[in-house]
Amino acid sequence: MSQKNGRLIWAILAACALAGCGHDSPTAPISASRQRGALAVDPPLRVASLSASAFATQLNATATGAQLLQLAGTPACGVDFYYLKYWTVDPAGSPTEVSGALMVPTGSSSQCSGPRPIVLYAHGTATASTYNIADITDSSNAAYSESAMIAAVFAAHGYIVVAPNYEGYDISNLGYHPYLDAAVNADDMEDALTAADTALPHTFTPDTTGDGKLFITGYSEGGYVAMATVKAMQAAGETVTASAPSSGPYAIEGLGDLIFFGQVDIGSTVFAPLITTSYQNAYQNVYNQPSDVYSSAYAGGIDTLLPTPVSLTTLFSTGKLPESALFDTATPTSSTGVTQIDAAADALLAKPASPPYSAAEAALFDAGFGAPYLINNTYRVQYVDDAVENPDEAAMTVIHGGTLDSSDIALATAPAIGLREDFKLNDMRNGGWAPEEPMLMCGADQDPTVFFEIDTGTMAAEWSTQVQEGLVSVLDLDATPSGPYAPLQQGFQSAYDALVSAEGASTAIQSFHSTEAPFCMVAARDFFAQVP
Amino acid sequence: MQHKIATLALGVAVALAATGAHAGNSDPNDVRIGAYLLHFDSSGGDITGPYTVPGLNTSIESTTTLYLAYVRQLSRHFQLELAMGWPPVTYAKAVGPAFVGSVPYNGKQIASIRWFSPTALLEYNFLSPRSQWRPFVGIGVNYTSFFSRQITAAGAAVSGGPTSISLPSSVGPAATAGVLYRLSTRWHVVASYSVAEVNSRLTTDTAGVHRSSEIHFWPNAVVLSVGYSF
Repeated sequence: MSQKNGRLIWAILAACALAGCGHDSPTAPISASRQRGALAVDPPLRVASLSASAFATQLNATATGAQLLQLAGTPACGVDFYYLKYWTVDPAGSPTEVSGALMVPTGSSSQCSGPRPIVLYAHGTATASTYNIADITDSSNAAYSESAMIAAVFAAHGYIVVAPNYEGYDISNLGYHPYLDAAVNADDMEDALTAADTALPHTFTPDTTGDGKLFITGYSEGGYVAMATVKAMQAAGETVTASAPSSGPYAIEGLGDLIFFGQVDIGSTVFAPLITTSYQNAYQNVYNQPSDVYSSAYAGGIDTLLPTPVSLTTLFSTGKLPESALFDTATPTSSTGVTQIDAAADALLAKPASPPYSAAEAALFDAGFGAPYLINNTYRVQYVDDAVENPDEAAMTVIHGGTLDSSDIALATAPAIGLREDFKLNDMRNGGWAPEEPMLMCGADQDPTVFFEIDTGTMAAEWSTQVQEGLVSVLDLDATPSGPYAPLQQGFQSAYDALVSAEGASTAIQSFHSTEAPFCMVAARDFFAQVP
Repeated sequence: MQHKIATLALGVAVALAATGAHAGNSDPNDVRIGAYLLHFDSSGGDITGPYTVPGLNTSIESTTTLYLAYVRQLSRHFQLELAMGWPPVTYAKAVGPAFVGSVPYNGKQIASIRWFSPTALLEYNFLSPRSQWRPFVGIGVNYTSFFSRQITAAGAAVSGGPTSISLPSSVGPAATAGVLYRLSTRWHVVASYSVAEVNSRLTTDTAGVHRSSEIHFWPNAVVLSVGYSF
């Protein structure tokens, strides 16, 4: 090949290459900011886009989905599901990346586009570390049913939904979940909202943004988180249009005391490690080593057990956790040497029996005792001794069958063990605050997982003035149906009766708490709709 | 890959070793220009990754582009062809369900890609160099590099947002068969059929979410060209 010919070939190749030097399309940029509420990836990933009819079809494909659809109503809007990644702070105050969902209503009607109200939703207790409430594409993911619920109830009816996954889940590398840590949970909620506000103008429907109304709700743990968020935002001078925390452990000190008194709730063996790990990481005052609290059968690795990538069934079957035995069947006794304290403590340490409890209550609480058991006897006695010496008055009122009112619900004055100090700090009674905007507290009196009376009842007593003024409302799904929520009360009671008929009472009660959830969320939607 | 590079090296060595054999041929060089009618037989695994429903696949649409080649006579019967198409804009078309959620999928153009794809072929010519008709066959090596990888609006909609595409370069075997018809001493027309194997791995990045699919395709092209010898 001559030199001339060689140059010709390379000239051709170069020209071809240059002619094609177009740009590659870029992905969404990663934000360099780690400020609270900074959107880590903007625009966020749209996980799925479902028209109203496609969403209805997807829900109708399963029996539970069809029931949800019947309760929530036919979708008026389609829903775009986005996966938010954003920055918040961990309990030590360090920036940490977390994730969540942004659900945007779609459709041409004014109910589904343009400025729309925002619902900030807090999810319930999750054990799966992969929990991702944005993932509506995978019905096997642990968050699917909750994701579908809030989409069906809120987004499909014109509300923009923002829902964090919380620290400790999905992409979070925190290694544990700050469970019932009011300040951290509220920060996460507010940061998710900030990130969503940034993301909304960059979605596939950039004209659909917040209209200035902010509603906050959540269920179970999320009920607590929702209330903590209202408290924090109100303290910061930010406006919350209305809120509807539901079935949450608001009076966590009182609930904790009742459980240690033997009123063991369903799920307690899961809640216990979540909460001790959370508070130990936040305050370093729960134990010196886990065996200070936990029995030798379970103490090893309990501080890193939850959240977990494996199923609860596996944790139970492999002996990592007892299914329900929180305490020893052979109940311990107090030995402070102070007769009055020992006598009171021994009465509280004894296994609840019928009477004075009903047979159903006694059976429920009895399941919380067994062998092997989770909490060691020494710690249980220490806790109950402290609860006797430094009583949570609401818990004492409830355990003795009294009626809660504003005069008998005070927090413990000076709890002397770390866990009760932490409970007090994070109890929603703490801080002497009350909602300044409308709040509906939904739940069910017979809830065996998050006790209604000690939680919702205590807060209603705490805020009796606001209740009388109509600013704070209580909806008991177990009450005789009446008033604007009567159809929901009737619907819940019918649904649970049907569950009992189908599965038997002892099995159905395991699903009582989760059965409440969509009824409370529809109540929240109805409540929000009537707020001017 | 190493095997393919070795094949390429062997081809080049054979070609270079044979260059001495053209002594006596007065017009050893040949440039050709024409039309590359490209068709892609493609196969690949379903696209996999987070938030990806099963059954999503792609195909590549046929296209036509400019064919350019330089041919060097090595001997009475052997020649070396360096060929390429003007980097064509090629569209990846969605194959799968009609909708992903409520986003249209099947049949939509979801990405456009340009590619630089030179092929080196060692060819054997039948009959005499002075024959008016001269069939030939050849084998060689194809190198393909992808660039200007663009997601379309439809692709972004189904992917969930702005998306970058990665497609590593490929080296694979190529083969050709054709016939040359001599118009004059210097001018001729050529019709040929060529096929190459291209293997790559499609990876997309949408807001930090990566999805991928193994891509195998066999670009087969009918080439109609006119050549000039000098």
